[in-house]
Amino acid sequence: MRRFLFLLLTIVIGVGFVALTGTYFSRASANNSLPVESAKSVGTVDTPRGKMQHAMLEISSWPDSMGGCHGEDGGAHPDWVTFCPTTDFQLPAHSLVTIRVKQYDGGELITNAYFAKVHGTVDGTAKLNGATINRISPDTVGHTFTIHGISSPTQEDLFVSVPLMAADEEKMGANGYPLPNIVEFSFYTAGPGVYFWNCEFPCGDGTYARFGGPMSAQGYMAGEITVI
Amino acid sequence: MTDVELVSAPQEDAQYAWWRRKDVKAIFLIWLLLTVIGLSLCWVPAHLMGESASEQMDETKQTMTLFTAIAAPVGAFIWAVMIYSLAKWRYTGEGPPPDDAPEFRTNTPSVLVWTLGSAILTMVVFVWGLLKIAAIPAASGFGLQVVDAPPAMEIAVTGNQWVWNFTYPEFNEIQSDVLYLPVDTPTTFDVTSNDVIHSFWIVQMGVKVDANPGAITHTEVTPHKVGTYEIRCAELCGILHAAMQTQVKVVPKTEFDAWVKAKLAVVPLGPAEPKSVGGA
Amino acid sequence: MSVLTHDHIAGQTPNSSNAGGMLLRRMNVVTAIIFGLIFCVGIHYIATAVFVMPEIPEGQDPPSGLVWMLENRVTLATMAGWVLGFMVGIGAFNGPVRWILGKDLTDEDLLFQAGKDQGISRYFRYTTDHKVVGIQYLIITMTLLGVGGTFAMLIRTNLMTPTSTFLGPTTYNTFVGMHGIIMIIATIIMVTGPFGNFVLPIMIGARDMAFPRLNALSFWLIASVVPVLLSTPFLGGMPTGWVAYNPLASQAPPGMDAFVITIIVFAISSAIAGANITTTAVKMRTKGMTWTRTPIFVYGVVASVGLAIPVFPAFMASQVLSGLDRAAGTTWYDPAGGGSGWLYANLFWLMGHPEVYVILIPALAALLELTPVFTRRPLFSFKTAVVAIAGIVGLSVLVWAHHMYVSGWAPDLGGPFMLTTEMISIPTGLLFLVFIGTMWRGRIWTRLPMMAVYAMLWNFVIGGITGVYLSDIPADEAMHGSMFVTAHFHYTLMGVALTGALGAVVYWFPKMTGRMIDEKIGFWGFWMIQIGFQVTFMGMFMVGLGGQPRRVFNYSDMYTTGNFVSTMGAYTIGLGALVFLYTIISSWRHGEVAPSNPWGAKTLEWQVPTPVPLENFDVLPIITEDAYGYGRPASEPKEGSSV
Repeated sequence: MRRFLFLLLTIVIGVGFVALTGTYFSRASANNSLPVESAKSVGTVDTPRGKMQHAMLEISSWPDSMGGCHGEDGGAHPDWVTFCPTTDFQLPAHSLVTIRVKQYDGGELITNAYFAKVHGTVDGTAKLNGATINRISPDTVGHTFTIHGISSPTQEDLFVSVPLMAADEEKMGANGYPLPNIVEFSFYTAGPGVYFWNCEFPCGDGTYARFGGPMSAQGYMAGEITVI
Repeated sequence: MTDVELVSAPQEDAQYAWWRRKDVKAIFLIWLLLTVIGLSLCWVPAHLMGESASEQMDETKQTMTLFTAIAAPVGAFIWAVMIYSLAKWRYTGEGPPPDDAPEFRTNTPSVLVWTLGSAILTMVVFVWGLLKIAAIPAASGFGLQVVDAPPAMEIAVTGNQWVWNFTYPEFNEIQSDVLYLPVDTPTTFDVTSNDVIHSFWIVQMGVKVDANPGAITHTEVTPHKVGTYEIRCAELCGILHAAMQTQVKVVPKTEFDAWVKAKLAVVPLGPAEPKSVGGA
Repeated sequence: MSVLTHDHIAGQTPNSSNAGGMLLRRMNVVTAIIFGLIFCVGIHYIATAVFVMPEIPEGQDPPSGLVWMLENRVTLATMAGWVLGFMVGIGAFNGPVRWILGKDLTDEDLLFQAGKDQGISRYFRYTTDHKVVGIQYLIITMTLLGVGGTFAMLIRTNLMTPTSTFLGPTTYNTFVGMHGIIMIIATIIMVTGPFGNFVLPIMIGARDMAFPRLNALSFWLIASVVPVLLSTPFLGGMPTGWVAYNPLASQAPPGMDAFVITIIVFAISSAIAGANITTTAVKMRTKGMTWTRTPIFVYGVVASVGLAIPVFPAFMASQVLSGLDRAAGTTWYDPAGGGSGWLYANLFWLMGHPEVYVILIPALAALLELTPVFTRRPLFSFKTAVVAIAGIVGLSVLVWAHHMYVSGWAPDLGGPFMLTTEMISIPTGLLFLVFIGTMWRGRIWTRLPMMAVYAMLWNFVIGGITGVYLSDIPADEAMHGSMFVTAHFHYTLMGVALTGALGAVVYWFPKMTGRMIDEKIGFWGFWMIQIGFQVTFMGMFMVGLGGQPRRVFNYSDMYTTGNFVSTMGAYTIGLGALVFLYTIISSWRHGEVAPSNPWGAKTLEWQVPTPVPLENFDVLPIITEDAYGYGRPASEPKEGSSV
């Protein structure tokens, strides 16, 4: 009986150790310590696909993390480029979603000009400061917003990629950053699922292919989109 | 003293030739049963590989079935001896068993037969592999093609962290995130990467080749079934490797031509002329 | 060779007030940690002062990458500092420094280092007695298996559902990499470390290893890097798997530097251990133990380290170059600078394939050693076993590019590599024959060590056959980089090698600890691991065939069932492992006291008393026959040839 109790104790301690380790790392992971921003419903709208819910998401991209969404002193990496207010979003399923990005960062020539074009939006276009575009010059890319995900036979893929033009660093705004370019684009969401997005303009300076650092970090240039 | 009689004590069975001994006969029967079971299940791995969208996938599934069938008698033998040994040669007393098992240290015929048999099986498997490689289109580069392949449509595949994009140089460099392919058309992929090593894998067509920075690798396939299939990156390439996936749509030629036409008709709308054109 | 053998320095007398001797007697793992921390902090301070951004003129940008490289330099230096400090603090430099100063270690010092009269504290010091080092390796192996197993449980928890957010991509990829490298290190050392050290010298009739201080060094080097490796998740993690492919590793956060240091130190430790074991086996076999009378376990361990010695340096080189790319701006693996990822892949797999045989062969050799004991028959065709092991070792250095069939590096070489890979099944198959032949008409004593042989044979058939599938190029084109590969190598590395190690630990436990393993509970632990194992990896074969890639934190919902089943199997393995752990701990503390030869075995380690005296033998034995004389009266060995 005593042996059995000690055996049980070993199992409890072992399972407990695994559970505690798991809980700690789960809570600490970028995934679970970032706030989630939900797209706000702005009513219903008529689309070629019928009447759909319309939701709107407002985000911004910055040349460093001092702008406020990583805390007053910029968080762990004050010099890293970042999207704000967070990188984890929630969108409604089977809806029309519009994302509006205020792009405060400069930019330069993008490696793969594919990402200087607009893909996957409602009619293949986006609005850049009010003007309709379906591409920008590859020389003037600041960031991109590229949504992709796991392919499954039960669901159509969601792929959206929009270039966010570089802000003119000569024209400074009141907040100490350049005047932003405002990019707005809309796309249809499919059924519920989990997708991911990341910026495809390599700006992790110094790292191989400039895709390290913030480019490979949730909370900065990559994140999760939950469609529910 | 012994509390369990050995089933074929040497002095009883020695008069019989080895294939008539009780042990050998029993193990043969168990082996036969397990081989039949194994053979009856040899279709399972190919079945688990799912749909096939190319002849190469068909051949690979065939290989899986054949190898499983070859493996069945081999595994069955080991498992037959294991089972029989537990049934008939087991000592169930306390303490070390008595030292009265047969003392033979080797059996040269069995070693020779075993070595020869495994060498033959190895050669069968190897030659089969060579024959199947010869059936893989030339572009994959495994170097054994005996037949000249018909000219194939070329598509440039670029892996970026964590998105695939496809460029069709034969159609004025139109680009896409979803791979559209006309059915029954040989297609060559010229694969490269803009950053780290990825691996371009069309799951249901059984083709895969790494995407390397600074190099172009090739693979070729002829899709033979209309449908939508999956492309998954098969080489860990950073945090969103799991999400570096897209679809391949195999469509009839007419639909493919219509898609190309629609792509070509897109008018660029933007703030300036692009300074560079095309993919990577 | 006596532990006391050394050159007497003229005039040197044992003097317990000798200052050097006092220092030596005070050094242990606590001083090691203290010195490690002092060096670590000190070198960190110096490094941050030295590796600073140079003055940048106004208006200019800093050189690209410098910030990141400086961070890596500081990290690498700090970790190297920890290792150096730890080794200073454990007393690794005592011997050489004393020798340089002309105050060589006295006889008393050497006996102290060998652990004479010290009780349990000798396990926490730089002790040279091979039996102590063996137990130390056993403990660290169990610890590494526990940590690696914990990561495995968390990985499988994340994979229980298709879109789990339990760990997130960064943490998940880090855990996958850490699970991999921890288990690889653990499986490399798990038989050679505990049993190659504790058992092998006694088995060959020696008093210790050829180089007792190097023995302690090889162990403590591994101990020193465990904290370094475990710091990875706190330094940003590692985005690569344990294979640490470049150029991806070049992009990685400082957690990758921990991996670089770990491998460099581990490679040094393995080289030292390898030199020690080969010299011991070649030069220190007792009188009369010719090569034909040497137990097969010795062959297995020597073959394994003999294979490791030439190939592990390739791994070390790959990491040195990776460290240089990360810290010094070189471009070994960067095509933009003339380098290539294929350089890394070749260096890595030159090690990576032989390394699985480094893992496999000692475990198989241990099982080959214990099978005759539990079937009371001679080892079947000893010569075949030796030739098979040699064949595996020889062929294993010729197959590495089967890991690179689809890399595009050298498609024309696919055929030749396919040939060499498939040829390995011939010597491997002969080992099956040796097992079967040893069992043939034997008196099978189904104690727990023998059960490990049965479990191994089941797993090896599946592991081996799935390897043949993968060796075929078109099949590999479909299955490379999928979970099928993961399931295949778990069947071989875990189903065969770890099972062999579990059998070995139960077999040699009575000699190493003086107690018998409680086989009632051990039975449950062992079979829970085995049954859970089948469930876990059959589920994995399923999803791999279906097209699920490796190293993915989320997957398509078409793979849900297989993954769920696999996770449930993994939890069963975890529970079984805890039961087995309990068995080991409770048996060690109050198991049945073991006689000196509970299994009635004939090898030399069972002919010495338990606990084994410090110098193993009063009088070194003289051998007149091999240790497989079962099934006949004690007289001259005879060659029989009837079935």
